[in-house]
Amino acid sequence: MFISIQNVCFSYPNTDYAALDQFSMTIEKGEVISILGRSGSGKSTILRLLAGLEKPTQGSLTIQEKVIFDNKTFLQPEKRGIGMVFQDYALFPHMTVGENIRFGLFQLKKAQKKKRLKEVLELVELQDYEKRYPHQLSGGQQQRVAIARAIAPNPHLILLDEPFSNLDAELQVKIRKDLREILKKANITSIFVTHDEDDAHALADRIVKLKDGCIDVIGSPCDLLGTQPQPAPTVIPVMEPKDLVSV
Amino acid sequence: MQRKLANVNAWTVSATVIMILLFLPNLTIVMGIFTPTNENWAHMKEFVLGSFIKTSLILVSTTATLTIIIGLSLAWLIAQYQFPLRGFLKWALILPLSIPPFIGAYTYHGIVNYTGVIQTTLRRLGIEVNHSFFDIMNLGGAIFIYTLFLYPYVYTITRIFLSQQSASLIESARMLGKGPWGTFFQVVIPISRVAIIGGASLVVLEVLNDYGVVKYYGIQTFTTAIFQTWFGLGDIESSIKLAASLMGFVILILMIEKLLRGRRQYSYSTTKVRPLPLISLKGWKARIATGYGLTILSLGFFIPIAQLVDWTILTFGTIPISQYLSYVSNSIMVAGLSATFIILFAVIVGNFSRLVYGKTAKLLPKLSILGYSIPGAVIAVAVVTAFIGLDRFLGPLYQFLGINTTLVLSVSLIMLISAYIIRFFAIGYNAIESGYDKIGTDFRDASRLLGVGLTKTFFKVDLPMLKGAIISGFILVFIDVLKEIPLTLILRPFNFDTLSTKAFQYASDEKIMEASQASLLIVAISALAIVIFYKFLEKEPN
Repeated sequence: MFISIQNVCFSYPNTDYAALDQFSMTIEKGEVISILGRSGSGKSTILRLLAGLEKPTQGSLTIQEKVIFDNKTFLQPEKRGIGMVFQDYALFPHMTVGENIRFGLFQLKKAQKKKRLKEVLELVELQDYEKRYPHQLSGGQQQRVAIARAIAPNPHLILLDEPFSNLDAELQVKIRKDLREILKKANITSIFVTHDEDDAHALADRIVKLKDGCIDVIGSPCDLLGTQPQPAPTVIPVMEPKDLVSV
Repeated sequence: MQRKLANVNAWTVSATVIMILLFLPNLTIVMGIFTPTNENWAHMKEFVLGSFIKTSLILVSTTATLTIIIGLSLAWLIAQYQFPLRGFLKWALILPLSIPPFIGAYTYHGIVNYTGVIQTTLRRLGIEVNHSFFDIMNLGGAIFIYTLFLYPYVYTITRIFLSQQSASLIESARMLGKGPWGTFFQVVIPISRVAIIGGASLVVLEVLNDYGVVKYYGIQTFTTAIFQTWFGLGDIESSIKLAASLMGFVILILMIEKLLRGRRQYSYSTTKVRPLPLISLKGWKARIATGYGLTILSLGFFIPIAQLVDWTILTFGTIPISQYLSYVSNSIMVAGLSATFIILFAVIVGNFSRLVYGKTAKLLPKLSILGYSIPGAVIAVAVVTAFIGLDRFLGPLYQFLGINTTLVLSVSLIMLISAYIIRFFAIGYNAIESGYDKIGTDFRDASRLLGVGLTKTFFKVDLPMLKGAIISGFILVFIDVLKEIPLTLILRPFNFDTLSTKAFQYASDEKIMEASQASLLIVAISALAIVIFYKFLEKEPN
């Protein structure tokens, strides 16, 4: 068990309904998980909670046995070692592609930085674009830079928020294939949210369907093909917060 | 609670301190209501307070109505129609904003009085006129001046709104068979209501704040009364009470504004900015449109400028250049320092406000920007009271340091600059806040997820992206300080003159020709800054 999400609840400030209600699941290393759901189903919320950009009202989050959130612990986003690719990429407009990618590599020495930059640029096949600014790139290229930037510091986990929503249909199919290759080559555990069933089936090892902040169905793409929604398997025992070990 | 605690850090602490310091002096005014009343106040309450309120109400409501009529009609013409000189008028119609109303007031008085260009020309032509017809030193004259030099607030806000937001709504009205007038009254006015009221409330606040025009034209308002009670009668308690009444009046107006806006904050189904296609006007219609725009522009800019230039040429050399250099450097120094501090504080408070959840974090900045709606004379009273108190408190320290006077801070530039900061914080804060809104939080989040902490993220990511907002906020505050009158007159150190205090003093001493040089310099600097600012704003996508 690489990542464990236990009984996580969350509601946005000034709202009275739960964006996420008693959400639990575990993820193995190297797995590509897709979270599928309509808008408002709570799918992006899971990413924001894992990233530390929002704080659950209860529950616990663990990565590689290390608690990143429970009732006593809240690890700040910058300490979690999680990478994220934002829906509109959030590439810093005042930095070049190279500077964007080096941004997260501040702990490395100069020579190592250069090496790592070269590696990830090769991985996303953008070797010649280091000196360009984000606005000089196409949508697909921007997305690959965003992926490279997120992967560069070697995160435990990479989160992708609607990675294909800003791309046209033709490009979407190609990038989907590329992305799976990149993720598998880098052997990085990843979670991406989407509202598009095709994306989920093409990319994921496992799919989680969300409805109203709860798991509707969970399973491999093959299992889910043509199936009607089923109740989520309740394999994970409910734990009291006092049973959890804090760090 | 837990959420809030997690975010307590250096940002929260510094932002809270700034907000309290900005808000505290105004509390002295509120406290002033509870001090025992004296004879002066009893007299004022019985005989003059009613007339102040009446005069202020007439000034405010008539000016607001007239600026809405002129501002909205011009905004609509420019946003919807094509006619000769439209491109020029579009930005030039903002220029009257560069002339502070008090300069406009004495310039127009100079144009129409007995020795002015109109009456002399008429006499030369052998036409006898009734002098009283040309008397503008009254309530009507003040309204004329305010309208002419303040309408750009309504014009600019409404025009930007109409040209960016209304295309599909206006086109739908057309497709549903509405003519130009029907569209104007049934669609344009209702959808731009928030923009119109926003612009008009700025006009109202400017009118209530004004000291120069009403003083020169001899009209009794709250602001002039605060000055008279303070300096004429030496009665600071009563002037605090007057200030408190004026503050109450302003709060009432802000409440009316909120009521008028009501729930009419329409939201739009699309965020895409699509420009409104222009309809070409031909023949007499085109001539009327151009003529109307040019008339307003001439009255609000070219005519007063021509007169100022004429006076400047006539008096050139009577005042040594070196004196002007000191006024210019004083003006630039106080405006530059105030703008720098305001932007620095606004950046800190703005960052705090977006970092922290919860209503308090959103409400506190709103409270500290109240300063803009509180007239300069009130802030002056508040700041002097606070600084004298501070000097008393620091008295033992001064003695220890061997300083032989009890007043140190309250006779220094620090007091004046603090007052500017309180008065104009809102201007800078609004610019910075909209800058933060435009950036959003994704870039910050992206940086943190790459392992970079909050403060480092701020310097490496937020600040470079905020550059545009910082520049525009700085320019806006700079111009406002440059033009400011009541605060500067009350709070400046002995013998410290700026361009605007000098222009005002010359004009008050009926040396209007001498006043023209300083005035022209103020107008030139402001006009330049305004043009740069709006050209810059125009390029921004939103």
